[in-house]
Amino acid sequence: MEKILLKNLNNPGGHTLDNYIAGGGYRAVKEALKLGHDHIIQMVKDSGLRGRGGAGFPTGLKWSFIPKEVYPKYLCCNADEGEPGTFKDRGIIEYDPHLLLEGMIIASYAIGAISAYIYIRGEFAFGAKRLWEAIKEAYEKGLLGKNILGSDFSIDIYVHRGFGAYICGEETALLESIEGFRGQPRKKPPFPAVWGLYGKPTVINNVETLSCIPSIILNGPKWFSSMGSEKSPGPKLYCVSGHVNRPGLYELPMGTPLREIVYNHAGGIKGGRNLKAVIPGGVTAPMLIEKELDVPMDFDSLAKIGSMLGSGGVVVMDDTTCMVKAAYIINRFFSHESCGKCTPCREGTHWMTEVLKRIEYGEGKPGDVELLEGVCANIFGRTFCPLGDGAVMALRGALKNFRDEFAYHVENKRCAARGGFGAIGVWE
Amino acid sequence: MNGEKFVTLKVNGKEVTVKEGTLILDAAREAGYEIPTFCYQENLSGVGSCRICFVEIEGQKKLQPSCITPVMADMNVRTDSAQVIAARGAMLEFVLTNHALDCPVCDKGGECELQNMVWKFGPRKGRFTEKKIRFHEKDYILSPVIVKNSNRCVHCMRCVRVCSEVVGKAVLGVIGREAHQEMTSFVRSYLDCDHDGMCIEVCPVGCFMRLPYRYKARHWDLKSAKTVCPYCATGCRMTIQERDGVVVRSIARLGSGFNGRMMCARGRFGYDFLNSKERLKTPLLKVGGVFKEVSWDKALGVIREKFTRADPKKVFGVASARLTNEELYLFQKLVRSVFNSPNLDSTSRWNENASAAFISAAGIPGRGTGIYGAMEADCVFIAGAQISDENPVTDYIVRYTTAAKRNSVIIASSRAMKLDSSSRMSIRHLPGRLGSLLNATALSLYMDYPERLEGTPGIDGIKGKTVEGLGQVSGVEVSDIKSLAGVLRGSASVSILAGVDFLRFREGILGLRLLGAILKTLGKQLEILPLLDRSNQRGAWDMGVHPLFGPGYGEVKEKGLGVDGMLERANEGASDAFYIIGEDILSMYPDRAFAARALSRAGFLVYQDMFMTETAQISDLVLPGASFAEKAGTFTNQEGRVQAAEPLLSPKGEAKTDLEIISAIGSSIAPGFTGADPQRVFEEIRGGLKTYEGIFPGLNDSNGVMVKGSGNTLKEFEEVKEAVSDLGKNTSYPYYLITGNHLFHSGRLSRRSEILRGLLMEPVIEISSILADELGVEDGSRVMVNGRESGAVFSVRVKKGTPKEVVFIPENFEKAPANRFFKRGETVARVNITVHSSF
Ligand SMILES: Cc1cc2nc3c(=O)[nH]c(=O)nc-3n(C[C@H](O)[C@H](O)[C@H](O)COP(=O)(O)O)c2cc1C
Ligand code: SF4
Ligand code: SF4
Ligand code: SF4
Ligand code: SF4
Ligand code: FES
Repeated sequence: MEKILLKNLNNPGGHTLDNYIAGGGYRAVKEALKLGHDHIIQMVKDSGLRGRGGAGFPTGLKWSFIPKEVYPKYLCCNADEGEPGTFKDRGIIEYDPHLLLEGMIIASYAIGAISAYIYIRGEFAFGAKRLWEAIKEAYEKGLLGKNILGSDFSIDIYVHRGFGAYICGEETALLESIEGFRGQPRKKPPFPAVWGLYGKPTVINNVETLSCIPSIILNGPKWFSSMGSEKSPGPKLYCVSGHVNRPGLYELPMGTPLREIVYNHAGGIKGGRNLKAVIPGGVTAPMLIEKELDVPMDFDSLAKIGSMLGSGGVVVMDDTTCMVKAAYIINRFFSHESCGKCTPCREGTHWMTEVLKRIEYGEGKPGDVELLEGVCANIFGRTFCPLGDGAVMALRGALKNFRDEFAYHVENKRCAARGGFGAIGVWE
Repeated sequence: MNGEKFVTLKVNGKEVTVKEGTLILDAAREAGYEIPTFCYQENLSGVGSCRICFVEIEGQKKLQPSCITPVMADMNVRTDSAQVIAARGAMLEFVLTNHALDCPVCDKGGECELQNMVWKFGPRKGRFTEKKIRFHEKDYILSPVIVKNSNRCVHCMRCVRVCSEVVGKAVLGVIGREAHQEMTSFVRSYLDCDHDGMCIEVCPVGCFMRLPYRYKARHWDLKSAKTVCPYCATGCRMTIQERDGVVVRSIARLGSGFNGRMMCARGRFGYDFLNSKERLKTPLLKVGGVFKEVSWDKALGVIREKFTRADPKKVFGVASARLTNEELYLFQKLVRSVFNSPNLDSTSRWNENASAAFISAAGIPGRGTGIYGAMEADCVFIAGAQISDENPVTDYIVRYTTAAKRNSVIIASSRAMKLDSSSRMSIRHLPGRLGSLLNATALSLYMDYPERLEGTPGIDGIKGKTVEGLGQVSGVEVSDIKSLAGVLRGSASVSILAGVDFLRFREGILGLRLLGAILKTLGKQLEILPLLDRSNQRGAWDMGVHPLFGPGYGEVKEKGLGVDGMLERANEGASDAFYIIGEDILSMYPDRAFAARALSRAGFLVYQDMFMTETAQISDLVLPGASFAEKAGTFTNQEGRVQAAEPLLSPKGEAKTDLEIISAIGSSIAPGFTGADPQRVFEEIRGGLKTYEGIFPGLNDSNGVMVKGSGNTLKEFEEVKEAVSDLGKNTSYPYYLITGNHLFHSGRLSRRSEILRGLLMEPVIEISSILADELGVEDGSRVMVNGRESGAVFSVRVKKGTPKEVVFIPENFEKAPANRFFKRGETVARVNITVHSSF
């Protein structure tokens, strides 16, 4: 397949404006400026593009919610990419920043935004630098700023660096953070399309989502929807990490079977060992086991088997992996990243982590597994935002397939997977 | 209201009809069902974070937090389904996981929302056996009135929200996140804030606690009485509580007053003057220059002798606007019908002609004006009011009720204030030049509608002037005046909040009247709410404690003298007897030297109060009066809200309530004079004053009862000679001095509160940040302030947004009385400021 999003991954200097234009870049903006706003939104709708930030919400539909008569409006690009096991947005930002900018210009034009923000994960210092450079180039060429390319459309793009909170990837917490407040989700409704940044209509899209836009404009919605799965068309970036021979970032058609990704593209399990579990879409996504590997990696197919595509972060674990330890580390992440707003997530994830830690350290008590399940049940469906539910989903995924291993830890105060003692090798 | 839509829904099978947009929580409560809440708090933004208030809505898979979910027609809500009950229990179990559970040593024990809630809805046993998070070992002190324990926090964020959304200070925030987040000050540092304790009042558990109340009592040890705050005329409803005769707490509770949980530092912490050892306990007669304790009989005998012998024209009476309505009514009756003197007033600070004109211009005799109603106006114009300092809870109400439409608030004052941050526009005019600003605004409106406004009373006074000219006089840019006029023009309803600076500067009253008349002629719905600084100032006027009008703003046979005139006469030696209750003239009259001279020649001076004030010391006879906490009676706040109060304690020693004393004096001279039964006196008031006709304020009325219209307008006081202050250049005394009440103080009464004194020890002067930079001083630096006749050392407080020429000295400090800087007839004093370098 021809690369659309990672075209410039192996092209030294591909991130510069000259190179980007030489490869046909910014043609889509010129095309788009000739089209009506609604026309572009319709094209995106027709393309079937679904948001790559995790939830898979139809992008064209999201844009169409923006009220016409309210001024001003904003676009926010979600580049917070905090989900463990995910590094796709970073790939685009570092190797093809102009692709993202072009997508943002078109999106802003389509929804009538007067300025756009890129909320970039604080740790992406290099990425932020790349973006600043690219934005500078674009301003110099009249691609950003007042009356771009001689049209009557003006747009400014700002880069806003995060401060290291995963929750700021949640769209409303992201808005709060840009506004200078503590990064905590807002209540919905009102949704950002109505009450977004500074109380004005706002579209929030993921980097990968926005980077799909230029090619849709140039090649048409049909071309886009012919790729990938029927209900989740287009190209998709998969980030493969863990016990595989060739970890890395892969651009493949949406719906590529997980087995193909792990064994063909990522070169199979390291050292010829056996696969134990795979997290298909960032640590929030419940883990899958060997017999589920033929699932097509798209939104609906994964949802059908109780997991999710999420961010496309594929984490492969071989049979030396202790699932209690994995669950503990994942859970510790969630409890550390809980924003503290709502009771069940704040207290519940903390509680789960403490119990998991005890089990992992050989201090489990009879009834601990049931207690974990009980706490999960008390959190699930009751949190303010999806983070708390995500923590439960991740733990439930591990318990569903590896309950025995937890029980073994509790009973024997050691690990079945490694034959050793539980605590060995836990990083703090 | 018209145009409002209603929806019907079912709660637990019971049909309820509520306004569209009502929260499920409120609808359920209306239907009579209880839903527990933590993060929800009336008047604060809804966050929906604690998840305790879940309800089940038919057709929705997830439970919904009822405190942020509005009702929809035909919803079927359950507040008690198995799912809801399970979720509630689960949330409480979560809340308790990291809660300290040290109830036995927690001050909140027994009245803790968490305790009560767990008792009612919670699990009997938690499953959490891990180590709890501890933020600190010992409680830490955040301010002279706040002590904090974060280990008990339920993370509801009420403290943080109330501080920024209601108080307007935003000094609290959150450190950290997840279960380790702590609601506190910036890096737990000592707070420099309003010390109003709103954070304490709203905290559902024992995190924010009162330092002065620490370990003093459990709530069941306390005896309570409902009363009204004795300080400003916002008139906050409060409950005071005592243990073993010592008042330990004053609280404001939801549902017991129009102010809900709101009180300022004075109301919440200024109660302890009641316990002061310095309270007067026996009558004291000055014999040979020294006070001797005497019996009441002796004291009354002396009074009878002196007052009956006096020439009625030379008898003067002043009663403080902090007394009850009953006392004030009886006082004027005593002076008018027993002493046969027309000379009485309720304040020594303001000229009686000015106050009559102000009362008339503000339409006070017309009717009461509720604050919440006033806040619904399209434009809220605040003028002549140092609202953030003098009427703090009024400031809160303006802030939170207008937050959603903050565009509506406009402020005109000479000093910057906290409320500026909630306003659309804050206009800084020169001190004593509010009138020119109001006239300029009136003129600007007149120029827009010359025909419609032709003939408006007072309009001729501004014809021939220009907006530019008036603007220049008031020190305000023409563009600001035009925008103010523009907003007024564009508003269908306008509320003017008019403060006592109209009286302090004795000007702007005619401008207020003219602007009011213009707005009315233009068809605007106009409300004028006076903002007054003594708790029962409006009551005092209603009761006719004024030389120019009688009870109910009725006419008097003979117009008398106000304090100005009284002192003038006394100074000339034309005073035989002077009866003063609670008004410390010496410390308040704006020309201290003159007041001292005049009072020393005042004939026989009887002074009645709780404390040996400065005026008491120069009196001939001192009578021990009682505090509000020892009285039954009623108070009428600035809105015209009549509220009942009950006594908590009996007067100290041989002291008596002021009602008893007035009645006894009356009876000793004129047998048959009204007895000291407050209920009977109020009956007399109800029978005699149209404004109080049919008014029966009860202790349990949470909103009090609004006064009615008197039918009088005091129209005859339309004309008043306003003061014109000299603001010319004066290089020796370049700064204009403004006075008023400090946020922590009210007159001198609050100086008897140890707690309030603890909040502010030394006399302060507030100067602009520009001047501070120029002088090279900062908060806490000392400066020498010199007037023409006197000087004193002050500690600096820097304020951003105040013009450089304007400085403010609170009138509350005995060590550096502000009235020393004034000369009679002068409303803006001039001072010079130099860096004090005595060390
Ligand atoms: C806890 C949490 C973290 C999230 N983090 C990210 C993130 O890092 N990047 C992202 O694009 N979306 C993230 N999302 C999803 C966003 O809320 C939002 O759905 C997305 O940015 C919308 O973009 P899209 O329509 O292009 O997918 C997160 C959501 C949650 C609940
Ligand atoms: S679930 Fe609640 S505590 Fe957790 S991140 Fe979301 S809002 Fe914050
Ligand atoms: S006392 Fe008032 S100003 Fe101070 S922290 Fe508490 S709420 Fe804020
Ligand atoms: S300190 Fe009190 S009010 Fe503040 S969040 Fe904690 S429990 Fe709530
Ligand atoms: S001083 Fe005024 S604002 Fe403060 S509590 Fe008392 S009545 Fe309320
Ligand atoms: S009271 Fe409703 S969520 Fe807290």
